[in-house]
Amino acid sequence: MFCYQCEQTDRSNIDSGCASAKGMCGKDATTSDLQDLLIHGIEGIAQYAKRARALNVPDNAAGEFMLYGMFTTLTNVNFNATRFSTLLQEAALVRDRVKTGYITAALAAGQIPEELTGSAVWQPAADLEGLLKQAAEVGINAGLEVVGPDIIGLRSLVLYGLKGVCAYAHHAYALGRESATVYAGIEEALDFLSSAPTDVDALLNQSMALGTLNLEVMALLDEANTGSFGAQQPTQVLVTPTMGKAILVSGHDLGDLAALLEQTKDAGVNIYTHGEMLPAHAYPKLKAYPHLVGNYGGAWQDQQKEFSEFPGAILMTSNCIIEPQPQYRQRIFTAGPVGWPGVRHISDKNFTPLIQAAKASPGFKDNVIEKTITIGFGHDAVLSVADKVIAAVKSGAIRHFFLVGGCDGAASGRNYYTDFAEQAPQDTVIMTLGCAKYRFNQHDFGDIGGIPRLLDLGQCNDSYSAIKIATALAGAFECGVNELPLSLVISWFEQKAAAVLLTLLALGVRNIRLGPTLPAFLTPNLVQVMVDKFGLLPNTTAQADIEASLSRKAA
Amino acid sequence: MNIHAIELTTRDGNQLRFDCTDDQNLLEAAVNAHIVLPAQCGQGNCGTCYAEITHGDFTLGKHNPSALSLEDKEKGGTLLCCTFPHSDLHISLPFNHDRILIGEIKSRNAEIIAIETVGENTLRLELQLAADEDGNSVAEFEPGQFMELEVPERGIKRAYSLSNTGNWEGRLEFLIRLQPGGLFSTWLKEQAAIGQTLLVHGPKGAFGLYESGLRPRWFVAGGTGLAPMLSMLRRMAEFQEPHPARLYFGANRAEDLFCLTELKTLQAELPQLQVIYCVWKPDESWEGFRGTPVDALTKDLAAATVIPDIYLCGPPALIDAAEATARAHGVPHKQILIERFLPA
Repeated sequence: MFCYQCEQTDRSNIDSGCASAKGMCGKDATTSDLQDLLIHGIEGIAQYAKRARALNVPDNAAGEFMLYGMFTTLTNVNFNATRFSTLLQEAALVRDRVKTGYITAALAAGQIPEELTGSAVWQPAADLEGLLKQAAEVGINAGLEVVGPDIIGLRSLVLYGLKGVCAYAHHAYALGRESATVYAGIEEALDFLSSAPTDVDALLNQSMALGTLNLEVMALLDEANTGSFGAQQPTQVLVTPTMGKAILVSGHDLGDLAALLEQTKDAGVNIYTHGEMLPAHAYPKLKAYPHLVGNYGGAWQDQQKEFSEFPGAILMTSNCIIEPQPQYRQRIFTAGPVGWPGVRHISDKNFTPLIQAAKASPGFKDNVIEKTITIGFGHDAVLSVADKVIAAVKSGAIRHFFLVGGCDGAASGRNYYTDFAEQAPQDTVIMTLGCAKYRFNQHDFGDIGGIPRLLDLGQCNDSYSAIKIATALAGAFECGVNELPLSLVISWFEQKAAAVLLTLLALGVRNIRLGPTLPAFLTPNLVQVMVDKFGLLPNTTAQADIEASLSRKAA
Repeated sequence: MNIHAIELTTRDGNQLRFDCTDDQNLLEAAVNAHIVLPAQCGQGNCGTCYAEITHGDFTLGKHNPSALSLEDKEKGGTLLCCTFPHSDLHISLPFNHDRILIGEIKSRNAEIIAIETVGENTLRLELQLAADEDGNSVAEFEPGQFMELEVPERGIKRAYSLSNTGNWEGRLEFLIRLQPGGLFSTWLKEQAAIGQTLLVHGPKGAFGLYESGLRPRWFVAGGTGLAPMLSMLRRMAEFQEPHPARLYFGANRAEDLFCLTELKTLQAELPQLQVIYCVWKPDESWEGFRGTPVDALTKDLAAATVIPDIYLCGPPALIDAAEATARAHGVPHKQILIERFLPA
């Protein structure tokens, strides 16, 4: 295996990356290699799908397969090699179907169908050894000796950004929203990758195109979330347990949560959110369920301890799962793209076994002194008081905005974000999103003239809210986003964050601080490109970076 | 008294560490560190606590040769319950992290809710776990594991493999061969009745599905060695796992085969499952395989294009012969997973 797609990748060697029997995330080499091969298979689908779409015979079912397949390969999503062996067979079948559609359409249009090669003609080997041999030819490092690490790094930037785009698009799809433009953009990017591109400008252009595409995907997802459940509203959420049987729901999939809430409404089981599911409490149609009682635990990296202590059943709807411990292995379930060998998977939204497991678990035995936090500051909520915010900025009551958010992780350097939020001056407002918020979201930041100093915008995909808010403020102040008193301090961990970063860069946002460490796939040359072209900044210390942000001239 | 650092690496790459003195066996030292490793007899008789020492010096105490072959010994194989360290040790465990219990083995009461004869000298015993202090009766175990059943106040305790899968109703199912003159067997035959209570210790054991494996899975069962195979196959059906699967189930006479209805049900739920019934001494009407499960396995291995993972459970003679034929046909050691039924 070779993988360096996440922030915690093994950096103990000169060539950073996980390349042993097991990655830092816990993924074994077999699963990792099969994931590489699945991406190859999906590229083959895209080669035909792109050409079929050009002939007005798009195959959106293939598009959905591509979204799902790509999503399974993100960090901390699916560790089950068996699922990949099945997906590989399915990929070949989907590709053949799309190929037939393309050839038929080409002939009908009086064209000679293109003779495609590479991933377009791949056939899965009959056994594991054969599959692993094939995987060795198509991993991210394939051709390294010929093209060098910079090109491999740029291909990785495109691939990992694309994975994030696909994951967000799958979230939207799960709520019934899909877009031909999005499928077309994904097919384009996969087809581009299948050509083993070596041109630096072409690779950078493709990464920016993905950033632009991801903005559309995040808008689609925002529409899916708000269209399905209403716009987020500022809401107080319990972060202490309530007596009774319990189910904990983690991940991002609001649709799974909604289905579970409906199935448990008379079951006498309380539902808790975990990690990136926290914003669910702010959606009117979800918070209408009285048994959606609160939020439990912190960010994903603490789950082994927290799940062990949770006295009920657990559902992982998307990233981030880490190895289930024996203490809760029998009462954790996966759904959607998630998988772990030996863990029960629910593929049809029938949560009966999960509910059974919850009822058979002790549940919380006592009520404790209640503690709440306030969430729900999506773009609708914030922009509904835009006049107050603008007035506060104009009067000097609000000196600066910081967006401190993204993914959390286990690295000790991530304390930087806690320090940053807590040391931000009292006349500044902190917007946050993603699971990085758990490092400081129970801290009392107070308010500025009734505007809370901490505004939780939601999940990582609610970066869209941040963009909408920033764009609206820029409009109000008649300036560009880069001229706003706004600094972005982004913590990244995996590929959704890569997609969001590409979006921000594609929008021309400069001087983003990215940490806690820069991606291992960005070589020193590529980092220099990012610095020169986009003003990307690495973290130093919280205090120094706050001061630099406050004294920064417009980009 | 020297203290040695013992480092364990599980099959799925997790690492655990504990200390052990010269005069402690590794199993006890692990328990003292709240690490409960799969084991049963604690006396070197059963082979359940098999592991391989990859680095370090140790003494292997008295043990049953059937529980540890010479070949295994030569490659560092040992039985943790009778292994004493002379230095720091690195140990490779042949099972995944999920088989290690951090804490204590549970002991609970269970009521007999069904007891029926399913074949000559073979019983199906179904228990209902008593509710715990929280009012719950969850049966948490991995397929392939066993429980120790104890008759209260009689001092009789025996280990039996579970044949069902983990569930939230607290049900435990066992297939038990009645041993002539056996204490537990005699109790089962003469005194056990619905409504009686047993004490249940467990789950225990490392035997079970190689969850990360992608190869075909072939199961070879002799007699009540069918129990853990049923458990694993039922899990495969429950999870809808796609692995090609074969079960070789043997008996001396056709009428000695049992659980035929359960196996038919299983095949309906797991369409890729082939069941090869093997009868050693069939009459003329028998249409299935004539011979032992090992004979059938040998024949199929010779024709196999993909080397399967092989799961063996049953009496020692069957296991030894099946393992030998598997090895002779090129099945790597790590792809042969074994649960021996050794006399208590």
